[in-house]
Amino acid sequence: MMHCTIDDLLALKENEASAWAKQHLEACPACRAELDALYQRIAALKALPVRRPARDRWPAVRAELRVEQRRRQRRWGAWSLSAAAGIALLLWIRPGPAGRVDAAELERVKQQSATLEAELERYDPDARVTSGRTAALAAALEDRIAVIDGELAQVGTPEAPMRGAELVKLWQERVDAMQQLMTVHVTRAAYVGL
Amino acid sequence: MTLSLAVPDILVARARTGDLEALEALYRAFETPVYNLALRMLRTPEDAEDVLQETFLEVVRSIKQYRGEGHLWGWIKRIAASKALMRIRRNQVRATEQFDEEAVGLQVGHAEGGPGHEGPGAVAGAPARIDLERAFERLSETSRSVVWLHDVEGYTHEEIAEQMGKTVSFSKSQLARAHARLRRMLDAEGAAP
Repeated sequence: MMHCTIDDLLALKENEASAWAKQHLEACPACRAELDALYQRIAALKALPVRRPARDRWPAVRAELRVEQRRRQRRWGAWSLSAAAGIALLLWIRPGPAGRVDAAELERVKQQSATLEAELERYDPDARVTSGRTAALAAALEDRIAVIDGELAQVGTPEAPMRGAELVKLWQERVDAMQQLMTVHVTRAAYVGL
Repeated sequence: MTLSLAVPDILVARARTGDLEALEALYRAFETPVYNLALRMLRTPEDAEDVLQETFLEVVRSIKQYRGEGHLWGWIKRIAASKALMRIRRNQVRATEQFDEEAVGLQVGHAEGGPGHEGPGAVAGAPARIDLERAFERLSETSRSVVWLHDVEGYTHEEIAEQMGKTVSFSKSQLARAHARLRRMLDAEGAAP
């Protein structure tokens, strides 16, 4: 005697069974018992105890959210400060051999900064899981970059007079911090000198 | 165990503005069901915790797109299931699944013994008694996901197929194979369901 297959039983449960399976079920106590067992198994699965996470992941989530928030602010900041830096370049770097060196150097570090920014964008740390330690390190570096961006944004105002060499130094600090940030994200290194 | 998954609209509205307190309240409301879902689909608590973190970051990034249609848990659950399935795909690249490749006889009934007897298909060397939770954990991640999403979370085969990027018949056959395996493991020595 042919009995219902597990496919037949699942189809019976879904009310999608063939006429043969329905008819067979009527006549076969063994298959009815099997269908009951399937229902019981599913009920038992639904009744399994709810498991809770052993560790609290909220601190890591919160740190990551803060990093993302700072990153968004930094993107806006970077866009506006590149315009400010252009103006500063016109104001402070005067013609002459020293000025030409500053201008070339400034252009080089700015390009480095932009390249790192693009690399970080491509790496897309937002889409990756980070540990609480990595997120905290990244947050500290993001803070440092935000401070530098704040200073760069002030360049060109009377409150922040600055020579070309100082401007280059500030951009170089930004590049260093960006490089460390990249290291933190890419290698998940526990130590980046902070 | 029943969990209350209702959250006030005002909390969702505050979370949309990026209010950290509201986001934490949302996280607290859903961390257990998200983790539980991920743990049932995946093999390790570490993977489930990672999915919990990924899910919530995605919830925060996308909450502006949540229009309040349907239950918030349904929306979050969909994100969590998707993240868990992505992780399963990554895990599958790393390791060959232990049980999925085994040939499983799907017919539960035999002419002599009836459907309650496995005959030659019974699991050789299975533990003397095995409870449902342990048997379920021995299924492949793919099978577990299909069983859990279909039988417990109430997803249709169409929805599972869409989330997995597979066909409806794949989902149906995974479910059938998983139940056949569960039944054989549980019946090996007459354990209860």
